[in-house]
Amino acid sequence: MVSFLLFHSPNFAGFVVEDVSTIIKESVEATIGGNAYQHNRVNQWTTSIVEQCLSQLSKLGKPFKYIITCVIMQKNGAGMQTASTCFWDNSTDGSCTVRWENKFVYCIVSVFGLAI
Amino acid sequence: MEEFNSGEEVVFNPDEISVSVKECIEGVIGGTDYNQSKVNQWTASIVEHSLTHLVKQGRPFKYIVNCTIMQKSGAGLHTANSCYWDTATDGSCTVRWENRTMYCVVSVFAVAVAL
Repeated sequence: MVSFLLFHSPNFAGFVVEDVSTIIKESVEATIGGNAYQHNRVNQWTTSIVEQCLSQLSKLGKPFKYIITCVIMQKNGAGMQTASTCFWDNSTDGSCTVRWENKFVYCIVSVFGLAI
Repeated sequence: MEEFNSGEEVVFNPDEISVSVKECIEGVIGGTDYNQSKVNQWTASIVEHSLTHLVKQGRPFKYIVNCTIMQKSGAGLHTANSCYWDTATDGSCTVRWENRTMYCVVSVFAVAVAL
């Protein structure tokens, strides 16, 4: 009963897609920027992106659990398709996906926020 | 208020999920080649069937199912996940599948619901 009240209190702004989208874009730019796909560095890049996003998101101080996924793909003509489906509470939970690219790589980051 | 934990498992079981996800993938793309016009239906189908299966188990979890299908053409692909949750009750499971012409990676994230 207590948690029900929390979700409807005026201070609970829910999952704000724009804020999360900004956080993601900044962390991808800062990590990959104009670099080309490098097999020996891409591991660090994906780790760095998800970690940076997670630490910025937890700084927002909202009562959410977060799941962040990051995919980096070399541009060489291959086709790729991604889909997600979620079983959650539509009134409080949300997601945000950012598709970024430069001349050499595609980077797709998804953040899912689930209210506690 | 009724006690929830009447002998039911509230902890995520990745092995069981892994098996049912593999079956879903096989059922949708087993034996087919990468086909650009169909891949959209395939990913949607895989995530839907996997989710339906999970929800049927009736456990107190919220789920996120993610599926990526990539054509095998020599490109490099790297993925990473990071989760901020309750490590005692929440969990994830990733299944990697491939055939001659494509890779398929399905990730399931389960977050316990507080009742």
